[in-house]
Amino acid sequence: MAQVTDPAVVDAAFKEFADMVANDGYLLRWTPDDDEKLVVTIDAGPDACADCLVPLPVMESILSTALEDTPYTLSRVVLPEGEGH
Amino acid sequence: MAMTELLLDPTGMEEGAQDSTLSPRPVSLKGLTIGLLDNTKPNATLLLEEIGRLLQRHYGAGESKLYTKDYFGTPAKDELLDRIADEVDFVITAVGDCGSCSAASVADGILLERRGIPTASITSDSFLPSGEAMARVMGFPGFDFYAVKHPVASLSSEEIKDRAQTALPELLRILGVEE
Repeated sequence: MAQVTDPAVVDAAFKEFADMVANDGYLLRWTPDDDEKLVVTIDAGPDACADCLVPLPVMESILSTALEDTPYTLSRVVLPEGEGH
Repeated sequence: MAMTELLLDPTGMEEGAQDSTLSPRPVSLKGLTIGLLDNTKPNATLLLEEIGRLLQRHYGAGESKLYTKDYFGTPAKDELLDRIADEVDFVITAVGDCGSCSAASVADGILLERRGIPTASITSDSFLPSGEAMARVMGFPGFDFYAVKHPVASLSSEEIKDRAQTALPELLRILGVEE
Protein backbone atom coordinates (compact mmCIF):
# COMPACT_ATOMS: atom_id res chain seq x y z
CA MET A 1 0.00 0.00 0.00
CA ALA A 2 1.18 3.49 -0.80
CA GLN A 3 2.54 5.57 2.07
CA VAL A 4 2.29 9.29 2.73
CA THR A 5 5.56 10.51 4.15
CA ASP A 6 4.05 13.35 6.15
CA PRO A 7 0.42 12.72 7.15
CA ALA A 8 0.39 15.86 9.31
CA VAL A 9 0.74 17.98 6.17
CA VAL A 10 -2.38 16.39 4.71
CA ASP A 11 -4.32 16.65 7.97
CA ALA A 12 -3.45 20.34 8.19
CA ALA A 13 -4.44 20.94 4.57
CA PHE A 14 -7.83 19.30 5.08
CA LYS A 15 -8.55 20.72 8.54
CA GLU A 16 -10.71 23.66 7.46
CA PHE A 17 -12.85 21.45 5.25
CA ALA A 18 -13.04 18.69 7.87
CA ASP A 19 -14.23 21.25 10.43
CA MET A 20 -16.80 22.56 7.99
CA VAL A 21 -18.38 19.20 7.15
CA ALA A 22 -18.30 18.31 10.86
CA ASN A 23 -20.79 21.15 11.39
CA ASP A 24 -23.22 19.12 9.27
CA GLY A 25 -22.39 15.87 11.07
CA TYR A 26 -19.92 14.37 8.59
CA LEU A 27 -16.45 13.00 9.18
CA LEU A 28 -13.52 13.19 6.76
CA ARG A 29 -10.81 10.60 6.42
CA TRP A 30 -8.24 10.08 3.73
CA THR A 31 -6.02 7.33 2.40
CA PRO A 32 -3.23 7.31 -0.17
CA ASP A 33 -4.19 6.01 -3.60
CA ASP A 34 -0.62 6.07 -4.79
CA ASP A 35 2.38 7.99 -3.55
CA GLU A 36 1.06 11.45 -4.33
CA LYS A 37 -2.66 10.94 -4.81
CA LEU A 38 -5.23 10.83 -2.04
CA VAL A 39 -8.69 9.33 -1.72
CA VAL A 40 -10.95 11.32 0.58
CA THR A 41 -13.85 9.51 2.20
CA ILE A 42 -16.78 11.32 3.80
CA ASP A 43 -18.66 9.32 6.43
CA ALA A 44 -22.02 10.28 7.85
CA GLY A 45 -22.06 10.56 11.64
CA PRO A 46 -25.14 9.64 13.69
CA ASP A 47 -26.50 13.21 13.53
CA ALA A 48 -25.57 13.97 9.93
CA CYS A 49 -27.90 16.36 8.13
CA ALA A 50 -28.96 14.32 5.13
CA ASP A 51 -29.41 17.19 2.67
CA CYS A 52 -26.64 19.44 3.93
CA LEU A 53 -23.50 17.89 2.47
CA VAL A 54 -21.45 20.14 0.20
CA PRO A 55 -22.07 19.27 -3.49
CA LEU A 56 -19.39 17.01 -4.96
CA PRO A 57 -17.97 19.51 -7.52
CA VAL A 58 -17.67 22.09 -4.74
CA MET A 59 -16.06 19.54 -2.44
CA GLU A 60 -13.53 18.57 -5.12
CA SER A 61 -12.67 22.22 -5.67
CA ILE A 62 -12.12 22.85 -1.96
CA LEU A 63 -10.02 19.71 -1.45
CA SER A 64 -7.91 20.23 -4.57
CA THR A 65 -7.26 23.84 -3.60
CA ALA A 66 -6.36 22.76 -0.06
CA LEU A 67 -3.69 20.44 -1.45
CA GLU A 68 -2.08 23.02 -3.73
CA ASP A 69 0.71 23.80 -1.28
CA THR A 70 1.45 20.13 -0.55
CA PRO A 71 3.14 17.44 -2.67
CA TYR A 72 -0.22 15.65 -2.97
CA THR A 73 -3.24 15.80 -5.28
CA LEU A 74 -6.79 14.59 -4.97
CA SER A 75 -7.55 11.26 -6.62
CA ARG A 76 -11.28 11.02 -5.82
CA VAL A 77 -13.91 11.57 -3.17
CA VAL A 78 -16.01 8.74 -1.76
CA LEU A 79 -19.38 9.96 -0.46
CA PRO A 80 -21.66 8.29 2.05
CA GLU A 81 -24.06 5.78 0.54
CA GLY A 82 -27.12 7.53 -0.87
CA GLU A 83 -25.35 10.85 -1.38
CA GLY A 84 -25.67 11.08 -5.12
CA HIS A 85 -24.47 14.62 -5.68
CA MET B 1 -40.38 0.54 -19.37
CA ALA B 2 -37.48 2.91 -19.06
CA MET B 3 -37.86 5.60 -16.40
CA THR B 4 -36.22 8.97 -16.53
CA GLU B 5 -35.59 11.25 -13.59
CA LEU B 6 -34.82 14.94 -13.61
CA LEU B 7 -31.52 15.55 -11.82
CA LEU B 8 -30.82 19.03 -10.54
CA ASP B 9 -27.29 20.31 -11.04
CA PRO B 10 -26.09 21.45 -7.60
CA THR B 11 -23.81 24.01 -9.24
CA GLY B 12 -26.49 25.58 -11.45
CA MET B 13 -24.04 25.29 -14.34
CA GLU B 14 -26.23 23.67 -16.99
CA GLU B 15 -25.33 26.37 -19.49
CA GLY B 16 -21.63 26.36 -18.63
CA ALA B 17 -21.62 30.09 -17.99
CA GLN B 18 -18.27 31.59 -17.04
CA ASP B 19 -19.25 35.25 -16.68
CA SER B 20 -17.54 36.91 -13.73
CA THR B 21 -18.83 40.42 -14.35
CA LEU B 22 -20.94 42.07 -11.68
CA SER B 23 -24.16 43.74 -12.70
CA PRO B 24 -24.21 47.57 -12.55
CA ARG B 25 -24.39 48.75 -8.93
CA PRO B 26 -27.21 51.03 -7.79
CA VAL B 27 -25.17 53.62 -5.75
CA SER B 28 -28.40 54.55 -3.87
CA LEU B 29 -31.27 52.30 -2.76
CA LYS B 30 -33.85 55.10 -2.69
CA GLY B 31 -37.14 53.78 -4.03
CA LEU B 32 -35.64 50.53 -5.29
CA THR B 33 -37.59 47.29 -4.90
CA ILE B 34 -35.92 44.77 -2.61
CA GLY B 35 -35.93 41.06 -3.42
CA LEU B 36 -35.50 38.73 -0.46
CA LEU B 37 -34.70 35.16 -1.52
CA ASP B 38 -35.44 32.78 1.35
CA ASN B 39 -33.91 29.30 1.15
CA THR B 40 -36.27 27.92 3.87
CA LYS B 41 -33.54 27.39 6.48
CA PRO B 42 -34.57 28.28 10.05
CA ASN B 43 -34.46 32.02 10.71
CA ALA B 44 -33.80 32.89 7.06
CA THR B 45 -37.14 34.69 6.73
CA LEU B 46 -36.62 36.60 9.96
CA LEU B 47 -33.09 37.67 8.98
CA LEU B 48 -34.11 38.74 5.49
CA GLU B 49 -37.19 40.65 6.62
CA GLU B 50 -35.19 42.49 9.26
CA ILE B 51 -32.55 43.45 6.69
CA GLY B 52 -35.34 44.61 4.39
CA ARG B 53 -36.80 46.79 7.16
CA LEU B 54 -33.40 48.33 7.90
CA LEU B 55 -32.82 49.11 4.22
CA GLN B 56 -36.22 50.79 4.00
CA ARG B 57 -35.86 52.73 7.26
CA HIS B 58 -32.28 53.94 6.87
CA TYR B 59 -31.61 53.91 3.12
CA GLY B 60 -35.01 54.72 1.62
CA ALA B 61 -35.44 51.41 -0.17
CA GLY B 62 -38.90 50.76 -1.56
CA GLU B 63 -41.20 47.75 -1.38
CA SER B 64 -39.75 44.38 -0.43
CA LYS B 65 -40.80 41.10 -2.03
CA LEU B 66 -40.13 37.77 -0.37
CA TYR B 67 -39.45 34.72 -2.54
CA THR B 68 -39.03 31.17 -1.31
CA LYS B 69 -36.93 28.44 -2.91
CA ASP B 70 -38.27 24.90 -3.31
CA TYR B 71 -35.18 23.35 -1.78
CA PHE B 72 -32.25 24.88 0.09
CA GLY B 73 -29.55 22.54 -1.23
CA THR B 74 -29.57 23.53 -4.91
CA PRO B 75 -29.71 26.86 -6.72
CA ALA B 76 -33.14 28.35 -7.31
CA LYS B 77 -34.86 27.25 -10.50
CA ASP B 78 -34.55 29.39 -13.61
CA GLU B 79 -38.26 30.25 -13.54
CA LEU B 80 -37.96 31.75 -10.06
CA LEU B 81 -34.71 33.57 -10.84
CA ASP B 82 -36.25 35.02 -14.02
CA ARG B 83 -39.31 36.17 -12.08
CA ILE B 84 -37.17 37.82 -9.40
CA ALA B 85 -35.07 39.54 -12.04
CA ASP B 86 -38.25 40.92 -13.63
CA GLU B 87 -39.77 42.19 -10.39
CA VAL B 88 -37.02 43.69 -8.20
CA ASP B 89 -34.00 45.97 -8.42
CA PHE B 90 -31.62 44.15 -6.09
CA VAL B 91 -31.62 40.97 -4.01
CA ILE B 92 -30.47 39.60 -0.67
CA THR B 93 -30.27 35.77 -0.42
CA ALA B 94 -30.10 33.83 2.86
CA VAL B 95 -29.13 31.88 4.67
CA GLY B 96 -26.34 29.47 3.90
CA ASP B 97 -25.72 27.77 7.21
CA CYS B 98 -24.88 24.29 5.94
CA GLY B 99 -22.58 22.90 3.26
CA SER B 100 -25.09 22.56 0.46
CA CYS B 101 -27.19 25.63 1.25
CA SER B 102 -24.21 27.97 1.56
CA ALA B 103 -22.99 26.83 -1.85
CA ALA B 104 -26.49 27.23 -3.26
CA SER B 105 -26.97 30.71 -1.76
CA VAL B 106 -23.77 31.88 -3.42
CA ALA B 107 -24.86 30.22 -6.67
CA ASP B 108 -28.17 32.09 -6.48
CA GLY B 109 -26.25 35.34 -6.10
CA ILE B 110 -24.09 34.63 -9.13
CA LEU B 111 -27.06 33.54 -11.26
CA LEU B 112 -28.92 36.74 -10.35
CA GLU B 113 -25.87 38.89 -11.10
CA ARG B 114 -25.76 37.23 -14.51
CA ARG B 115 -29.37 38.35 -14.97
CA GLY B 116 -28.31 41.92 -14.24
CA ILE B 117 -29.52 42.07 -10.63
CA PRO B 118 -27.11 43.26 -7.90
CA THR B 119 -27.18 40.58 -5.23
CA ALA B 120 -25.71 40.07 -1.78
CA SER B 121 -25.66 36.44 -0.68
CA ILE B 122 -25.44 35.53 2.99
CA THR B 123 -23.79 32.39 4.32
CA SER B 124 -22.56 31.66 7.83
CA ASP B 125 -18.86 32.00 8.56
CA SER B 126 -18.49 28.29 9.30
CA PHE B 127 -19.38 27.59 5.68
CA LEU B 128 -17.36 30.31 4.01
CA PRO B 129 -15.17 27.77 2.14
CA SER B 130 -18.24 26.18 0.60
CA GLY B 131 -19.45 29.51 -0.76
CA GLU B 132 -16.01 30.46 -2.06
CA ALA B 133 -15.59 27.11 -3.78
CA MET B 134 -19.02 27.32 -5.39
CA ALA B 135 -18.00 30.68 -6.85
CA ARG B 136 -14.85 29.07 -8.30
CA VAL B 137 -16.83 26.14 -9.71
CA MET B 138 -19.27 28.58 -11.34
CA GLY B 139 -16.48 30.53 -13.02
CA PHE B 140 -16.76 33.53 -10.69
CA PRO B 141 -13.76 33.23 -8.35
CA GLY B 142 -13.71 35.97 -5.75
CA PHE B 143 -17.45 36.58 -5.93
CA ASP B 144 -18.16 38.77 -2.92
CA PHE B 145 -20.71 37.62 -0.35
CA TYR B 146 -21.33 38.13 3.35
CA ALA B 147 -20.60 35.54 6.05
CA VAL B 148 -22.72 36.03 9.16
CA LYS B 149 -21.50 34.61 12.45
CA HIS B 150 -22.50 30.94 12.86
CA PRO B 151 -24.97 29.68 14.03
CA VAL B 152 -28.13 31.26 12.72
CA ALA B 153 -30.81 28.59 13.10
CA SER B 154 -30.82 28.57 16.90
CA LEU B 155 -30.93 32.34 17.46
CA SER B 156 -33.77 34.29 19.08
CA SER B 157 -35.51 37.06 17.16
CA GLU B 158 -33.54 39.67 19.10
CA GLU B 159 -30.27 37.95 18.20
CA ILE B 160 -31.34 37.82 14.55
CA LYS B 161 -31.96 41.58 14.64
CA ASP B 162 -28.41 42.05 15.94
CA ARG B 163 -27.05 39.88 13.13
CA ALA B 164 -29.00 41.93 10.58
CA GLN B 165 -27.69 45.19 11.99
CA THR B 166 -24.12 43.89 11.96
CA ALA B 167 -24.50 42.65 8.38
CA LEU B 168 -25.79 45.93 6.99
CA PRO B 169 -22.51 47.79 6.22
CA GLU B 170 -21.07 44.78 4.37
CA LEU B 171 -24.28 44.17 2.44
CA LEU B 172 -24.30 47.82 1.36
CA ARG B 173 -20.66 47.58 0.30
CA ILE B 174 -21.37 44.46 -1.76
CA LEU B 175 -24.33 46.18 -3.40
CA GLY B 176 -22.19 49.22 -4.21
CA VAL B 177 -24.31 51.64 -2.19
CA GLU B 178 -22.52 54.92 -1.52
CA GLU B 179 -25.01 56.79 0.66
